Amino acid sequence: MRKGLLLSLTLAATVVTALVAAPPFGTSFTFSQAATMMTRTAVIVSLLFVWIIAAIAVTLASGREIRYASIELRTSPLHCFALGLVAVTSFVLTGIVFSYLIPYFVGLPLLIALGLFAVLTKIFGTIAVFHAVGTIVAGLRTRDQLSRRRWLRGDLAMVVIGVLLLGAIRLIPVVGTIAWFVVSVFGVGAALATKFGRREPWFLAWRAAEA
Amino acid sequence: MNEACQRYAEDPESNSAHLQQCAHCRAIYGVLDASIESTPLQVMELPLAPWEGAAYRSWPLVIGGTLAVLAIAFALCAAAGISVPMAIRAGTQFDWRAALSAADRALRPLGPIGLGVLFIVVNTALVLLLRRAPRGIDA
Repeated sequence: MRKGLLLSLTLAATVVTALVAAPPFGTSFTFSQAATMMTRTAVIVSLLFVWIIAAIAVTLASGREIRYASIELRTSPLHCFALGLVAVTSFVLTGIVFSYLIPYFVGLPLLIALGLFAVLTKIFGTIAVFHAVGTIVAGLRTRDQLSRRRWLRGDLAMVVIGVLLLGAIRLIPVVGTIAWFVVSVFGVGAALATKFGRREPWFLAWRAAEA
Repeated sequence: MNEACQRYAEDPESNSAHLQQCAHCRAIYGVLDASIESTPLQVMELPLAPWEGAAYRSWPLVIGGTLAVLAIAFALCAAAGISVPMAIRAGTQFDWRAALSAADRALRPLGPIGLGVLFIVVNTALVLLLRRAPRGIDA
C-alpha cells in the first residue's frame, strides 16, 4: 500500500506539472509563460539534485544523528512543529534586532552567525524530514522484511526515497511551495528538539548536591 | 536486620537453624535460591529496533536515484535554455536584506516596546520548548 502511495503521488506530481506546463485544452499560453514555467521546473529539479547530494553527504557523515532526529519527528510531530514555528519566528525577530545593531559594528557578525545557524538548522532538519518520510513510506517493519530486502533498507535509502517523494511534491505549483515550507518548519523543530540529533540538553539543569 | 540475621548472612552454613525461626530471612533466601526458569529467546519475534539495518548502504538505489534526477535536470535545463549551475544559482539566491526589511516594516506598527516584548515572549517560548527532553526511542 505504501509503495502504491509513493507511486501514485509521483505520478500525480508529474501529471499536474505537465498539465500546468502544457495545458491540452482551452487556455492559450504565451511562449514566455511556457518558458517561465519550464525554467521554474528546471530550477526546482536542479535544486533537488543539490539536495540529494547534500542528503547523501550528511547521512554518510552523521547517519545516527539524522536517524535520531527522524525518530523524534515521528514520535513527537506536534512538538517538532510547534518548536519549528517558534524557532523560525525567533530567527526573524532576532534578525531584525541584530539589524538595528549594524551601525554599532557588532550587528553584521551577529547577523552572519544567525544566518549560518539558521541555514545549517534548516539543512539538517530537512534531511531528517527526508529520512522520516522515506521511513514512513518504505521503512522496514519486521525482521522478515530486513532479511528479504536488498535495496530498500538503511538510512541512505530512506533519505533518497524521501528526497524523491518530496521532490515530486515540490513540482506541484502552489501546493509544493507550501508543502516544503511545512517540511522546513518540521525540520527546524526536529533539529532543535534533538540538538542536531545528539539528544543532549540545550540547557544544563542545576540541582543542589544532596548529603 | 537483627544480630541473628546478621550472623546468618555472614555464615549461612553454621547458622542454618536460623532459617527455621526467621520467616523474613526464609522469604529472602528462598527467592535468591530459587531456580531461574529460562526460555530460549526468540530473536525473530522481538520488535525491530530503529538501528537494525540502518548502517546498510544500498548504493544502486542511491546512485540510480541521483543520476536519474541529474538526467532530468539536464533535460529540463536544456529545454529551458539554461545551464544546471545557472539554475542552481538562481534557485539559491535569497535577498535577505529585502526579507528583513519587509519583516521590519510589518512589525514597525508595534513600536520599539512592542517589538521588545514580542522578542522576549517568543524567545521565552523557544527556551521553554527547548527544555523539553526528546522522547524519541525512549517513548
